[in-house]
Amino acid sequence: MNSIVEIKDVWKKFPMKRDKPGFKEFMVTLPRFINRSANSNFWALQGLSFNVKQGECLGIIGRNGAGKSTLLSLMLGTIYPTRGTTKVSEKITPLLELGAGFHPDLTGRENILINGVLLGLTRHEVSERTEEIITFSEIGGFIDMPVRTYSSGMNLRVAFSIAIHTDPKLLLIDEILAVGDEGFQKKSKDALIGLIKGGVTTILVSHNLNAIKEICARVIWLDEGKIRAEGEPERVVENYQGHIK
Amino acid sequence: MLNPILLALVLFIAFKIFMKIQMENYTFFFLSALFPWNWFSACVTVSTGTLISNVSLIKKISFPRHFLILATILSQLVNFVFALPILICLSYFYAKGPAISWLLAVPILIAIQSIVTIGICLAISMVNAYFRDLEYIIGVGISMLFWLTPIIYPLKMVPDAYRIYLTINPFTYLITAWRDVFMSNVINWSGIAISFGSSLVFLLVGILVFKRLGKRLDEVL
Repeated sequence: MNSIVEIKDVWKKFPMKRDKPGFKEFMVTLPRFINRSANSNFWALQGLSFNVKQGECLGIIGRNGAGKSTLLSLMLGTIYPTRGTTKVSEKITPLLELGAGFHPDLTGRENILINGVLLGLTRHEVSERTEEIITFSEIGGFIDMPVRTYSSGMNLRVAFSIAIHTDPKLLLIDEILAVGDEGFQKKSKDALIGLIKGGVTTILVSHNLNAIKEICARVIWLDEGKIRAEGEPERVVENYQGHIK
Repeated sequence: MLNPILLALVLFIAFKIFMKIQMENYTFFFLSALFPWNWFSACVTVSTGTLISNVSLIKKISFPRHFLILATILSQLVNFVFALPILICLSYFYAKGPAISWLLAVPILIAIQSIVTIGICLAISMVNAYFRDLEYIIGVGISMLFWLTPIIYPLKMVPDAYRIYLTINPFTYLITAWRDVFMSNVINWSGIAISFGSSLVFLLVGILVFKRLGKRLDEVL
């Protein structure tokens, strides 16, 4: 099968700036700006390369600050690599952060509509699926309350339900499943496994190593912006667990 | 809706009642320019902070970011359209009613002003993400531009020596074209042509700045 994500020698740096961004500060720190070598940078990703095939489920593990979320944002296209190329040839359904893309003052129902349209459905298609989404989220009457009144679990339930009911082709999931309760974690895991069997490509970042072992076919262990190990979930996860002890 | 009317009221009191400007239909005169101007200035003021206040959308969802700016401009356009009935009433009482020429000129001028505004707002919103204190300068800049554009005074009132400076201001032509339609039902083609030409320049610069700086937007937001 063909690769739908191609990451080629990707580097990403973030400038380490202590100052507030402002024109005044810019003028004061102008000498430092001209003398670029005096700027310190943080290289979040250092020369990553890998491919993800159609229908594959890739797990990404690693310590906090290893570059996992940066990598997902790069694939999503909200940030650009400093060097190298990322190519994604499929519609992306991101679940990167709780409540991202939700407008806090709109109700859950209205946010379903907005999010569904943002994910590429037509208004009509979304309204057809709204009931299904609400049922899956088990959120009941709160769906007509503003999203700012939701707990993080409720937020996740709605966001996850929208994501899996909008014909995802490539799911990017960043850890957020952890805030769901036992029941919903199981339900969402089953739904994910079902989707993956149906040919949906999934990239899952998680610290829940058991879930990773259960769902993913391949795992990448990121360490300080580099790939430390890659391959069989069992082996890589064990390796990783051995390392953090 | 309320904002432009209150501003109009303040200007009316200051210039018509306190300073007793001797000009026929002075209220109509400045309102015909003030409403289009308000559309522009509100767009600039709001879109300065648009990218910054939508960080969560920009960082977590991939979508064309210029839509945020376009949405701002469209929503402000609605306010402008709601102010039009006031001008229609004034025109009815002072200038023998709105003529057919409005139907042609108003959409053209709305289109041209949209182009200018989009260009300027794209550039400003992006640069402001890099230099957050720009918004204070923008506030002053907007009010400077307001006084240096013939909005509450006619161009011919400006002494000859200084008039040249106003004629290099592209907004002079746009505002004059608006006023010609509203006050005398005339389509000012030369004004429209000059505004259109300059609007394309603004749009081009805006798009360039937005694209170039947009690549590193995530580092500063």
